[in-house]
Amino acid sequence: MKDRCRTRREFLKDTTSAALAGSLYLSTPLGVFAQPSVKTRVVLVRNKEVIDNYNKPNERVVQQMLDEAVTALLDEKDPVQAWKKLLKPTDVVGIKSNEWKPINTPPELEKAIQRRVEGAGVPEKNIGINDRGARNDPLFMNSTALINVRPLRTHHWSGVGTLIKNYIIFADDPSYYHPDTCADLATIWEFPVLKGKTRLNILVLFTPLFHGIGPHHFAPKYTWAYKGLLVGLDPVAVDATGVRILLAKRKAFFGEERPLNPPPKHVLLADTRHHLGTADPGKIELITIGWKDDILI
Amino acid sequence: MKLICSISAFFLFMVTLPGGICMGKGTSDLALLLPETILGWKVAREDGRYGRDTLYDYIDGGAELFLSYGFKRVINRTYVQANQPDMVVDIFDMDTSQNAYGVFSHSMETVENRFGQGSQSSEGLVLFWKGPYYISIMAHPETAESKKALIDLAKKIEGAIAEEGPLPELLTLLPQRGLARESIRSFHHHAWLNSHYFVADQNILHIDNTTDALLAKYGEGKKRSLLLLVLYRDEKAAQRAYDNFVKQYLPELSQKKSVKIEDGTWTACHLAGSLLIAVFNAPQEDQAVHLIDEVKKRLGQKGEDHER
Repeated sequence: MKDRCRTRREFLKDTTSAALAGSLYLSTPLGVFAQPSVKTRVVLVRNKEVIDNYNKPNERVVQQMLDEAVTALLDEKDPVQAWKKLLKPTDVVGIKSNEWKPINTPPELEKAIQRRVEGAGVPEKNIGINDRGARNDPLFMNSTALINVRPLRTHHWSGVGTLIKNYIIFADDPSYYHPDTCADLATIWEFPVLKGKTRLNILVLFTPLFHGIGPHHFAPKYTWAYKGLLVGLDPVAVDATGVRILLAKRKAFFGEERPLNPPPKHVLLADTRHHLGTADPGKIELITIGWKDDILI
Repeated sequence: MKLICSISAFFLFMVTLPGGICMGKGTSDLALLLPETILGWKVAREDGRYGRDTLYDYIDGGAELFLSYGFKRVINRTYVQANQPDMVVDIFDMDTSQNAYGVFSHSMETVENRFGQGSQSSEGLVLFWKGPYYISIMAHPETAESKKALIDLAKKIEGAIAEEGPLPELLTLLPQRGLARESIRSFHHHAWLNSHYFVADQNILHIDNTTDALLAKYGEGKKRSLLLLVLYRDEKAAQRAYDNFVKQYLPELSQKKSVKIEDGTWTACHLAGSLLIAVFNAPQEDQAVHLIDEVKKRLGQKGEDHER
């Protein structure tokens, strides 16, 4: 698909259309955005105690953070009631995780999600957790609801490993989506096995990777203990918020502009071309809960 | 054409200087570069071997990076020892030393010469290149023992690679004064144009596998100038790229030597035969012009190319 060229100079001219791309590519200021009355809610919850000095998550705190985020997201006081808004007891629920070895979806978070899915009345036999095997997992094939959960990190070719990208495993040939630095990843969400099923998106920012080196795109020195979760119903809004945090961290760490490379074009185009959700910070209501130090957003 | 020949002769001279670097030769079996044991670590399982068609099976998203640098094959070996982290080594055969340097430069953050022709190390990780090979050794989380073994393994691999290889020719055109060496990026794919500074999300400079491109920072502090060199296959291709760049990014350039863009920094672009020279983010106009002039001096063709 051909798309018009977006340049640095266009972003700097501060037009509204350019500002959207600028916020994802350059971390440009948000002042130029329109402020619509109805916004997509994204919740950022942080807790200093969620991991120890060895980055081992604390199960109790993880559960608490998830509950705080989901209740804030859905305007509910009780987490079980909140999850009942997302799921019904007859649902077959696939929890799409991410097992990338250096930074995976923490098992403690998978357990916390499963606990709440069960709390919504879904029997254990109708709940599955999977990543690379999800494509051939009968439970995922027959699922009626999906929970999408993965860590935030920079990525060799798509710029950022996102919630949008977390479903690439359902593609017959993932490399088919590689052209133009994975620009059209959002089309995966149209697959019948996925379309309309995602009930909740959770981006894990316990120790995000903000820069990658080497063939495995990983070095511990480019992770930091942010100790957060980003949660929302709109995957694009959650991803776009995560990208802004990564850009802010890169600027703080390197002491100068360091754009994500390649630019996370797929997040922008998930909004402007594929209409999967909104990447526009002006259309996102960001609620922050908990620890505020070095929040970067 | 005369200019292209001059550039080629210049490069040929640079890479055959007495005592300089010589061409590297590939080994038939990459496993020959690896030891069977390393300070108590032993080979865990059969080596993984991947070529251009199967690299996706090993590093799916990362494959595109290596393919854009002429990747030929890779061997992956894991060493294990009880109560120690696994040590994972990859040797990428990039076909030429210029490509090995290019893929190494892609993530270069510091300039080290501990191993091979250039290396970079951090906690639990060593990256280096020598000849046509790019090597990565990882062991997480790092222990005192794994740190020692990692260094030992890097030395063994370095020693097993017989010869060094030449650097990309364009490097000889980089002005040395004010150059931030760790910022040099060598590439053949437009995606890496934005490594330091976002220019555009499309290929407005027509950078592809027929071009050699270099990007480098100059100066200190937050506002550093960036120099971009792109050598095209011929003058026609360079002219088309230049025209497109001016049209899409710098239309004012037809009237001036350099342009002050919206953030107050200066951008300049100049075509010298098949070589495009561009400067971005210069704090002052004379800095942009000076960098271009320095490259022209190095070309030895000042005043003889297409003046714009």
